Order: sequence, then structure tokens, then C-alpha cells
Amino acid sequence: MPEPLLEVRDLAGGYGDVQVLWGIDLVVEEREIACVVGSNGAGKTTLLRTISGMLRPTAGMIRFAGRDLAGAAPDAVLGAGIAHVPEGRRLFRGLSVRDNLLLGAYTRSDGRAAVERDLAFVYDVFPILKERRNQDATTLSGGEQQMCAIGRGIMAQPKLLMIDEMSLGLAPRAVEVLGEALAGINRRGLTILLVEQDVITAFDLARHGFVVDMGRITISGNTATLSTSDAMRGAYLGSVAKSEVG
Amino acid sequence: MSELQILVNGLVLGSLYACMAVGFSLVWGVLNVINMLHGSFIVLGAYISFFLYRHAGVHPFISVPIAAAALFALGYALQRGAINRVVARPVLTTLTLTFGLDMLAYNLMILAFSATPVRIILDLGRVEAAGVVVPVDRLAAMLLALLLTAVLYAVMRGSKIGRAIVAVRMDRDAATLMGIRVERIYATTFALGALMAGAAGAMLALIFPISPTMSGQYLGKVFIVCVLGGLGNVPGALAGGFVLGLVEAFAGVYLGPQNAMTMGYLLMLLLLLVRPTGLMGRKGYE
Repeated sequence: MPEPLLEVRDLAGGYGDVQVLWGIDLVVEEREIACVVGSNGAGKTTLLRTISGMLRPTAGMIRFAGRDLAGAAPDAVLGAGIAHVPEGRRLFRGLSVRDNLLLGAYTRSDGRAAVERDLAFVYDVFPILKERRNQDATTLSGGEQQMCAIGRGIMAQPKLLMIDEMSLGLAPRAVEVLGEALAGINRRGLTILLVEQDVITAFDLARHGFVVDMGRITISGNTATLSTSDAMRGAYLGSVAKSEVG
Repeated sequence: MSELQILVNGLVLGSLYACMAVGFSLVWGVLNVINMLHGSFIVLGAYISFFLYRHAGVHPFISVPIAAAALFALGYALQRGAINRVVARPVLTTLTLTFGLDMLAYNLMILAFSATPVRIILDLGRVEAAGVVVPVDRLAAMLLALLLTAVLYAVMRGSKIGRAIVAVRMDRDAATLMGIRVERIYATTFALGALMAGAAGAMLALIFPISPTMSGQYLGKVFIVCVLGGLGNVPGALAGGFVLGLVEAFAGVYLGPQNAMTMGYLLMLLLLLVRPTGLMGRKGYE
């Protein structure tokens, strides 16, 4: 069996004295879409920030494409091939859509032609971004901003794209469009890790799911199995399941 | 003196002020540091130009890039070595640090250069048109100042480093996720601010007498320009520079040169009452 692209073992960490992650185990296989779901405050964003080097883990292992990345600086993690699309898009105000996308390619040194090629690819996936390329990125609609944020992640030419709360605050139609785009990008070889509160959207897209609660992975497995499993319903969809029954 | 002549004098002065202030504005806008050293940077640039002229016969316009490069290096080292250690603290902390550094710089310059004003005198002739007379050195300094300001604008708008500076200014965390090393961008930004001060100072040596005691006066002018124009953007510094230049030129003639600076401060106070974001500043943008 080939080595997974990303392997996280026993990862612990948090903010200063406040420990949020209590031993996370997570595996993302090459070329798949995986997802981490969990309620607000479960530790999802902390997990992503620890993987991308924004927070230092206090214990555990982060192995990516044969390299140990635990405690590496954000630019080193990005250089190794992990791009992190943050929650809330976090586009740069005062800069055009094109400038925002180019900032995604900040650490690349493979030449202007290669960057232009990827820019054309992003415009191809999200044609609206091409149309609005000279507009201030923060004046776009929510869905378009998410496209720009994902495009900015793609511009780093990552092996793994981690997207935090892609669907949060977006109209269902926009989520659908983004989901289709992600599936398309994934078919072209990019591995994706989604982090979502919205289980339905996440399980729809992802093959493997990890449920995180109180800083631990409580259940994991194939999403098709998970969504019908009683343990999952009890642990996470509890209220939904009850209301459906009732 | 005709109104047109005063207007031209004001524009010459204004473009120099813009060039002096644009670096201060950049540092304030991006790092949220009120750099009290900026006046000393200007004076140091002027002395570099003066000594190169006196000891090596280097033409002041050739000294502009030399002074700029020297101040860039100094600014980078200061930021990396000292200011970056407290850059995330409240503005009063960094203000106190740069204030202390400025006292050191001021006294070192007094010690090294003495307080006696010096000046480069080069008679390059004068240009006359429509009854307006402008000495060639002033005209050249004005054009050079505008050129430098335009180059900075182009760098900020169109280059990789310019994009990174704006990104860091707008969202430090997200910039880090782009792989941008924030402390390097801070050092580069501070160095660019010092570079503009050094270049402006090198040109100033050709027009005004210079002395270490003038650093405070230039700092005051730069401060007014930034408040007038709004922080952190080049067009704002340009607008603020021209406004202050024109106000000083007209006030100098009609109210006497001793009142020119007072009018500048008065204007700043009035603007703060009416439009606290400055002429070109956007609320919340900084």
C-alpha cells in the first residue's frame, strides 16, 4: 500500500496554554477528497492552522509527501505543497482579483510563464474571476470571493489544498458551483481536504470523512458508510436524526 | 512677487515634501509605526550628498541613488535589529523606541557634523517663462522628487514586493498563509521609507542649508503632509505635499516666512476637525 500524502498522528496543540487538539489522527490519500467535520469549537480550524505552520504543535507528527512538517514555518509548509484557504476567505482589500491570485504564487520561483499558465487555469475554472480580474477582490459576492480564495490557493501549485469552511455563509447555489469546480480540480490530480460544519456538503464531495469533537477524531471512515451509521447519527447528526424520526 | 511665481515655488516645495513624506506615510500605514527617525534620515541623506560633493566632487544628483541605497541598508538593519522586536506592540511603544533612537541619531550627528548649517552651492542657471523664474537646480530636484515618488507608486502597485507589502498591511495572518515572511516585509517597508527620506534629503542639500538641528522641523512637515493627505498611500502623500508646499509658499509671502510653518499646522488642525481621514485617506482603510 502506498504511503498516504498526508499523515497526522497524535497531534496536540492549541493557543498558548489553551490546549485544543488532544491527539488527532488523520490520513489523506493522494488524489482523494477528504473532509473533517465537526461542530463549532471542535478544533477544526486549529487543526488546519497547526498543519499549515501558523501554530506550533506541542506533540505528534505531521508527515507530508515523505517529509516531516511538524513545527515547520508557514512558508516551508507551503513550499512542501500544502496550501490553506482560510475561513472567511481573507482576501486582501485594496488589491485586484488578479493581484490576490498572484499573491498565492508568492513563494514560487518557477518563472512568470508557469504562473501565467496557472492563472489561465484558474480563470478557466472560474470564468467570472477573469471577467472581474481588475476589480477589488473584496467587492465580489461571497461565492465569487470563495472562488478567488480557492484560486489563490491553487496558484501556489500545491499537492494538497486545505479549505476551511468553504460553504459558510454562501447561498446553496454558490456552494453547488464551488463543489462542482472542486470535483473537477480534484479529477485533474489535486488532493483536497475540506473542513466543514456543513456535513451534507462535505460528505457529498469527500470520500473519507473524519469527525472531530473536543479536539479528538471520534469517528472516521468512508463518507457513504458514515452518513448511514448509527454512531455518526448519535455523535454528530443526533438532533437531525431525532427530528427526522419525530 | 507674482501669484504665478508663488504658485510655482509652492509646487517645487510641494514635490519635495511629497518625496520626504511618502516613506513616512508608508511605514505608518503598513507597520503602524510613527517613525520619529524620519527627520534624521532626511538630514543624513543630505549630509551624504554634501560630503560626497565636498570630498569627492560627486554631483548631488548622482548622490541621490547613493544616499538612497545607504539609507535603505540602514533602515533594513534598524528594523531587523531593533524595531521588529516591538513592532506588534501598541503604537506608543514603537513611538518611544524610534524617539529614543532619534535622540541617539540626533546627538551623533551633532557630534559628527556639528550644528553649523552647510550647503552645496551649484549655480546651474535658471529657467524663465511667463515672468516666472525657477533656478535649474530646484527644477531638477522637483522633477527628480516626482520621478522617485512615481517609481515608488509603480513598485507598490505593480511589483511582487509591492503586492506583498499591501497584503501584509491588510491582513498579516492571511499574508503569512501566502508564504510571505512578515518580518522581512516589515524590514523592507521600513527600508523603503528610509530610502525615500535619504533620496529626498540628498536633493534638499542642494536647495536649503542643512544641519542636524533641522531633523525635527522636517519631521513636523512630514507629519503634516501625512495627516493632510491620509496615510499609507502614495497619492495621499503627493496631495498632502502639494497642499503644504502651496500653503507655505503663499503664507510666506503674504504673512511672512516666520508664519509659514504655523499655517501648515493650523491647516492640519482644521482638517482633523473636518475630515480626520485626510484628503485621500479612506476610513477603516488604514
